[in-house]
Amino acid sequence: MSALAKPGLLSDIKQFGDVDVSACFSCGNCTAVCPLAQSDGTFPRRMIRYAQVGMKDALLSSKELWTCYHCGLCSDTCPTEADPGGFMAAARRYAIASYDRTRLARTMYTRPVLGTGVAILLALFFALFMYASHGPQSAASLALFRFIPEGLIHRAGVVVMVIVALAGLAGIATMALGISRRERSRRQAGDGAARGGLWRALWVAIGVESLGQRRYRADCATVQEERPWYRRRWLIHAATMWGFLGLLLATVLDYGLALLGVKATGSPVAIWYPTRLLGTVAGIALIYGVTMFIVDRLRHDGQAARRSETSDWTLLVLLWITGVTGFLVEIALYLPQAPAWGYWVFLLHVSVAMELVLLAPFMKFAHAVYRPVALYFLARTDQTARGGE
Amino acid sequence: MNGRRIGVFVCHCGGNISDYVDVAKVREAVRDEPDVVVAETTIFACADATQQDMVQAIRDQRLDGLVVASCSPKLHTFTFRGVAKRAGMNPYLYTQVNIREQDSWAHTDDPAGATEKAIQLVRAGIARTRLSLPLDPIEVETTPKTMVIGAGITGLRAAIGLADIGLGVYLIEREPQLGGWVARFGAMYPHQRKGWELVDQLAAQVRRRPLITVFTSAELTAKSGSFGNYRTEVRINREVPETIQLDVGSIVVSTGFETYEPAVGEYGYGIDGVLTLPEFKALLDSSKGELSYNGRKVSTVAYIYCVGSRQPDGNAYCSRYCCAATVHASLEVARLSAGVQQYHLYRDIRTYGKYELMYTESRERGSVYMKFPEEAPPAVARGADGRLTVTTRDLLTEGAELTIPADLVVLVTGMVPRKNETLMGVLKLPVGSDGFFNEIHPKLRPVETVVDGVLIAGTCQGPKNSSESVASGLAAVTQSAAILKKGVAELDPLVATVDAGACEWCGRCEETCPYAAVSRAHSDGRDVAQIDPAVCKGCGGCAPLCPEGAIDLRGYTDAQIRAMIDRLVEVSTA
Repeated sequence: MSALAKPGLLSDIKQFGDVDVSACFSCGNCTAVCPLAQSDGTFPRRMIRYAQVGMKDALLSSKELWTCYHCGLCSDTCPTEADPGGFMAAARRYAIASYDRTRLARTMYTRPVLGTGVAILLALFFALFMYASHGPQSAASLALFRFIPEGLIHRAGVVVMVIVALAGLAGIATMALGISRRERSRRQAGDGAARGGLWRALWVAIGVESLGQRRYRADCATVQEERPWYRRRWLIHAATMWGFLGLLLATVLDYGLALLGVKATGSPVAIWYPTRLLGTVAGIALIYGVTMFIVDRLRHDGQAARRSETSDWTLLVLLWITGVTGFLVEIALYLPQAPAWGYWVFLLHVSVAMELVLLAPFMKFAHAVYRPVALYFLARTDQTARGGE
Repeated sequence: MNGRRIGVFVCHCGGNISDYVDVAKVREAVRDEPDVVVAETTIFACADATQQDMVQAIRDQRLDGLVVASCSPKLHTFTFRGVAKRAGMNPYLYTQVNIREQDSWAHTDDPAGATEKAIQLVRAGIARTRLSLPLDPIEVETTPKTMVIGAGITGLRAAIGLADIGLGVYLIEREPQLGGWVARFGAMYPHQRKGWELVDQLAAQVRRRPLITVFTSAELTAKSGSFGNYRTEVRINREVPETIQLDVGSIVVSTGFETYEPAVGEYGYGIDGVLTLPEFKALLDSSKGELSYNGRKVSTVAYIYCVGSRQPDGNAYCSRYCCAATVHASLEVARLSAGVQQYHLYRDIRTYGKYELMYTESRERGSVYMKFPEEAPPAVARGADGRLTVTTRDLLTEGAELTIPADLVVLVTGMVPRKNETLMGVLKLPVGSDGFFNEIHPKLRPVETVVDGVLIAGTCQGPKNSSESVASGLAAVTQSAAILKKGVAELDPLVATVDAGACEWCGRCEETCPYAAVSRAHSDGRDVAQIDPAVCKGCGGCAPLCPEGAIDLRGYTDAQIRAMIDRLVEVSTA
């Protein structure tokens, strides 16, 4: 079947990252050197080619786009200095924007000033919205939910979650349908392996690869070994991811305990109390991970951090503010006298956290769902490939 | 010349001969041949030191005959003629015997037989040398003028070069104006100078040189005479055509090429918006501001390479210039309007040498190069929406089939030989299987033809770009100078001669001579054949036809050939 070329695809992708692969003459060194490229799905050369010739659908339905962790070996090796790794990152941004039908993601990526403005205004909106219903600030103890009603935060949170879920699911559906159709036609053409088991693939995609970061740790180790263990990219990514998930779990558990009447949300407990302990440890991990990411980007340390787009900073800054303000609120909560700044930090914390969740499908955060989807398809072809060995 | 003193040198060729031929045995076998006074073996006969030894032997032994048994006469005839000359011996008293190509290399399986054959060949060579006569080169006065046919960039530059070394030039151009193809070109690589500016510059230089006479609307219609002295007729196509006679010493043919004209339907040719490379170049060169076609802005261009070149059942050759010309055109497009998307559908990109930089720049400026398989060339069509589409497979993208919407499709057409029957008839130039004029040797004698004094330069010899064309034009200048600057040409005296007393004039020799060297003359009241030694090539075609045996070939007389055969036969039956 003949695909219709989309002239200008490459220049469109260029809006998503300051990379120029037009010097690429398809030598394939990048693919040869890539520890993750495999016979069933080769990249980055093939992805660059799709962009050059204008095969938009093929590019967006390539699971390979998401199996790259940007170790940068390809960019180090490229004889034309076309930065294939940087291109892959830009193509992923382009993909996030393309899976999103609202065009909000495209705006956030391609118009950084406007995007940053939207982010700031949105945080301000949440803050004003909640402050409009504020109560008294108790000076005796930090009574956060008398300041901002818990019910208001809860309801606003539910609304945000629903929006995010709908947007996220739409994106996932667009992506999964595209990849699935592509994989089917590849199988029919006798190119690419048959499908493996669904449950096992889910486990590999979410458990082994996404949470366990198996390839990120093992296959992309070459470049990472040059750094001390505590600064390796897989580790700071794991700290960030697990920190975020830990905080999410602690919040949900806290809410559950409040529903069960065991403990009111926001009431002081000892440090060893399970939800507080989990929250504290996870918070430290998150702040450590995000801080190290920021340090790498400021130092331009490593291929992945060599160039930073506004979208990279948006995610890191939002995560960092959420993490740090969370800790400040905790400190304020356990101070003998409730400080007035505690209430304002709390307002900031809630606003930014809500914004972070709301914007997730429209920014870099979206990789948290798109990667596992791609890894799922990879795992399904992978297993059969291995079974055939 | 009885009582000759002949020296024989048998060469090892460093093992090439001596590995199979017992060289010492050959020497022993021939040392007692009649008239042989020196018989030696050498490791390399052609080595400087050996040549010195030979010179010494010729002088010391007062030799008047030399036989060198080594390799093919094609390699070292002139080497050993030189040896003879340096020793004060007439060079035509030397005979080359080939015991390498015709013996040791051919009989590696039979050393004894090879040795026997070598002995026979050397004996025959000695037999020929015993009857050899001293000969002197034929000297011909030459006309210090050259005719240059075709005033494109090659012919213009050649004319200037010829004038600058002091030769008169008649520059003949069929068209009413000078400049050929280059005069139609806009900016050219690498200096971005316009083609017509280059031609104007050359034309101005031509005008400044009184040695050059230019004839436009002119064609060569006849040529006679011999090497160094040709009489030509040139027809000038005015309202009243006029024919003039011009005498020249050499002729440089630089008649150029035609571009390949695709058949209607070939890659969509005939559909509006499908152009050949020259048509596209003309559009591009006349564009000011953004590129547009028929008043519509062009935003996508697809180039299809190798149209009419490298075709299994057509022109099998590569036209050399088209890849670079197209890549350059794509850069011109990018300069004109940066947003134009350009797809290059190629079989192989041959931007050799410095053009590689252009190819890189073109890619960096966004041109996309897609390699289509030879067996599945792109298809051009006009879609229902009125837009042109090119459907192709890209081998660099897993062979995927892709349909490219395009505003213009450019068929990258190559060069084909110009049809020029009159000129070919007049000059009798041989044409290769590709239809271009043939040189004698592509590397060693690239501008010379089998017709002495007629040289070929530029694209009439084969596809070239303009700088390569000019280089070959200047090579033709040098060759002309080598022929004409001395004022006299020395020709090999190995030509046919007529014994006027024996000739009965039957005319067979005149009929058979491929060079028109034989004519009828009167001698003592009789009609006899006369051979112009300046025209005769010494092919020997006439000698065996003569019923009276009146024709002899100098250096290869009947007596010599008979003596060689006698000696060969005698040995083989012995």
